[in-house]
Amino acid sequence: MSQTVAAGPGAGAGAPASRRRSPFAVGLAAAAFALVIVGFVASVGAFPESWNLGLADPIDRTRRWLINNQTSHWLYTVLLNPLTDLADAGIRRLEAILRWFPWYVYPVFCGLGLWRVRGRVAGALGFCGVVLIGITDLWQQGFATLALMGVAVFLSLLAGIPLGIAAWRNDRFAGVLRPTLDAMQTMPGFVYLIPFVLLFGIGRVPALIATVIFALPPVVRLTDVGLRNVPGPMVEASEMFGATDRQTLRLVRIPAARPAILAGANQTTMLAMSMVVIAAFIGSGGLGQDVLRAMRDIDVGEASEAGVAIVIMAIILDRFTRGIATLGGRGRGSRTNGHAGDSLRAADTRAIRPIMAATALGALVGGIVGHNTFPEWLRWHYAPYINDITAWARDNLYDIGNSGIGTGPLSDFITVYMVTPLRELLSSGIPWPAMIGLGVLGGLLARGVTLGLGIGVALLGIGWLGMWELSMDTLAQTLVAVAVTLAIAVPLGIQASHSNRFQKLIDPVLDFLQTIPSFVLLVPVITLFHVGRIPGIIASVVYALPAAVHYTDLGLRRVPAEVHEAATSFGATRWQRLRRVELPLAAPELMLAVNQVIMLVLAMVVIAGLVGGGGLGLETVNALRRSDAVGRGFEAGIAIVLLAGILDRLTRGVADRLRPPAAA
Amino acid sequence: MDQTSPDPAGIPTVQKMTGADADAAETTVSVTGLWKIFGRKVDAARELAESGAERDRIQAETGCLVAVQDVSFQVEAGETFVVMGLSGSGKSTLVRCISRLVEPTFGDIEVCGTVLADASDTALRELRRSKMAMVFQHFGLFGHRRVVDNVAYGLEVQGVARDERHQRAREVLATVGLDGWADHYPQQLSGGMQQRVGLARALAVEPEVLFFDEPFSALDPLIRRDMQDELVALQLELQRTIVFITHDFAEALRLADRIAIMRDGAFAQVGTPLEILTQPADDYVRAFTQDAPIAKVLPACSLMRPVGDVAVEESWPRTTETATLESALPFLLSLHRPVVVCDAEGDPLGLLHQDDVAAVLEQNLR
Repeated sequence: MSQTVAAGPGAGAGAPASRRRSPFAVGLAAAAFALVIVGFVASVGAFPESWNLGLADPIDRTRRWLINNQTSHWLYTVLLNPLTDLADAGIRRLEAILRWFPWYVYPVFCGLGLWRVRGRVAGALGFCGVVLIGITDLWQQGFATLALMGVAVFLSLLAGIPLGIAAWRNDRFAGVLRPTLDAMQTMPGFVYLIPFVLLFGIGRVPALIATVIFALPPVVRLTDVGLRNVPGPMVEASEMFGATDRQTLRLVRIPAARPAILAGANQTTMLAMSMVVIAAFIGSGGLGQDVLRAMRDIDVGEASEAGVAIVIMAIILDRFTRGIATLGGRGRGSRTNGHAGDSLRAADTRAIRPIMAATALGALVGGIVGHNTFPEWLRWHYAPYINDITAWARDNLYDIGNSGIGTGPLSDFITVYMVTPLRELLSSGIPWPAMIGLGVLGGLLARGVTLGLGIGVALLGIGWLGMWELSMDTLAQTLVAVAVTLAIAVPLGIQASHSNRFQKLIDPVLDFLQTIPSFVLLVPVITLFHVGRIPGIIASVVYALPAAVHYTDLGLRRVPAEVHEAATSFGATRWQRLRRVELPLAAPELMLAVNQVIMLVLAMVVIAGLVGGGGLGLETVNALRRSDAVGRGFEAGIAIVLLAGILDRLTRGVADRLRPPAAA
Repeated sequence: MDQTSPDPAGIPTVQKMTGADADAAETTVSVTGLWKIFGRKVDAARELAESGAERDRIQAETGCLVAVQDVSFQVEAGETFVVMGLSGSGKSTLVRCISRLVEPTFGDIEVCGTVLADASDTALRELRRSKMAMVFQHFGLFGHRRVVDNVAYGLEVQGVARDERHQRAREVLATVGLDGWADHYPQQLSGGMQQRVGLARALAVEPEVLFFDEPFSALDPLIRRDMQDELVALQLELQRTIVFITHDFAEALRLADRIAIMRDGAFAQVGTPLEILTQPADDYVRAFTQDAPIAKVLPACSLMRPVGDVAVEESWPRTTETATLESALPFLLSLHRPVVVCDAEGDPLGLLHQDDVAAVLEQNLR
């Protein structure tokens, strides 16, 4: 209703009021400023150890109690154990079904499927990829991963789609759900594992539950968004024909929201994939377990074989689930892209159908006959070659010809000139009260009193948990990785936004990088950089790079062509146009890119605790490795969540500030 | 009211009979004292509006927006009633109130003998399924359904079996000139074709009342023109009751039996196109008439006098009932003879005289 939007005199009056600082905000700012001064004058250094709340002990006691009572207490015998058994049985059942089919069905089926949705090359690559998993003797582990993932995705969708519908139906529920989903999505996947380990111990079921919850947000969010974005006239038209609410939902709203729901399902699948792999830490088994074991032994070859298998699975699943979303919409695109693609595909479709039918028949026959193990004679391991390469890289790339150029000097440079000074600055250079004061001021400037207070409390909380120094260590690594990522990504993004050719060139590379589960990325990095803080930082950069380039490109492309033309018509050079027009206009989107980068980097830096990254990540890794360290890990987990929350809100606040005022 | 209003220009008018005979005409849509006020303090807003307050003042004082203000009218069976107004005049809200897509604040609405305010959800649904249909500005087509399934939607929600509704849908698609497009998706069609689908979808349920909410405003001028012609032709054949919303005065003149000019939620004038053109109620309405290409939009029959005792000669130029005044102008200017307006069978309906046409055109210039 356009009329209702028309702003009366009252609407305009509100805007200046929000600019005026409330006395409370001024007071808070003054207090924060005083904290900074006092901190520096008193030079207190790190957060006092004696203020530690000591949360770890009660948690460890709880853990011991839970372990001791797992077979006797009603909480387990009546509630949790039956659930555990049911979930475990479900996974086993699915695994058994997957294993029943003959081995050759899988490469053929994946090949055909990818051929159908992405073309011949993709089909051939898919076929070879699946065969490679079998050749490297990872067939059984692959099924274990796939079964766990299948059940997790099924449960996520089963819960997520109705939750999304409920959020769309009920605004008040949505009001509660959305911030919850936001918070869930800022938490690194790794952290999800801790509470479930506490409750269930090690095994597939806590891995399953953590995966289901971790993978839930996208499908809920996109179902809600998809339903809300169904065009009003479509719904009006349906109502006008006398459709009942139920008919409108079933016949119009859900089908119209289908692309969004399927996009959500795709994201959920990918999150589940990355989580199932990480969950190897708590005994999810499967391919992740192989990577983990190999990485602990620093056996890069073994880790690579399992890692490559994971990447192959991830890419096939991604292209499949995306393909389903677009296949359903065939012919529904715009007028321009409708026909050509279809007729091109028609010939392939005709070819695929009989092969598909033959495969289905083969599946049944083969399953009954029992061709269900990958043939023994088809084996080949490339791990030794990888190990050779690793050894060579370590010997030769570390310091190429003693010239001071190589991975070693690079690590040293980052460590000596960036990470260490920044860590020292954050953890002891800036006294902790000053740090809190600065945080509060930042929050005040970015959004207002609530955020300022929130950041203050969150920082205090980190201190009370006894995680101050570890958090500052993680923060330093995160900031360095973010800086490096942006330094690489922003120029790439700018270039991509200016040149379609360049964009087409880097798109597949970024797409590929984005599909790799975070954990697997560590494998090639430790090949080159060995262990320590640097591989974690490098892996974070690689992990966050695609999103950063993508958002930069997107933000700049959103600047209307007319504005470009206007700037050019005034005789602006390309550089002037970029600096004075494009970047300022795209600033809010660029800030969101920074936000995404920080979140991705933080998630990776935490996982890098596994390869000697130190900081909060190491504590979490220890908690998952040793049951006596759960309490400490729990504290570290909370600290990670607090840190993620602070960084997320702060960058979002800045992004909103950069947005020009909305049209009246 | 329009039939009885005196005619200062002295032009005798013969009421155009598109629908049923005037005496036998029954009211299909009846709206009495309709108000739609968005906001909470509706009573206060209404009182202010009744005391003659402007919209902006009412909004400032009560926070309410008076979208439709005390509107009353009747639409006869088979009549095309056009509501014309600029954006924000409340015309879209008005048509949504009549179909109860928006709940009216005050007033009575009767459609096909059913009082909408009393109708239960089930009764309203039944009414929508069997008696009314709407064509939307941005088409409101279902992008996930083929054209044929779009057209069959109304029948589908009524529970008509698949084969039957598809057959019916294909028939209707043929009448709007879209046979052969049934299995495409709406997005693959041009704008004009998409709106034909919208029209076919509305016609498929054989409604008594058709609502059009600015159906052609999103189309190119040429396509719009074609669609208008087609609607006129279809209406000659189908004789539905039509409530048509538009912001285009020329479109209103071309399609309407009667026009209501809407301004700030209220009707500024209601009358036949001729009345609006020749006797604008106020300066606001006159502003529209001044730019109107009268000769191009007024049908020849709107200015004809009854044949009466005049002996119609074979040599007199002829024009048809649906042709515009423009078609008769060359003859009127050169031959100094009346032009005979004939119906579809070629029988004379009335005579068009030079003086009458000149009077109207002159009036328009003032």
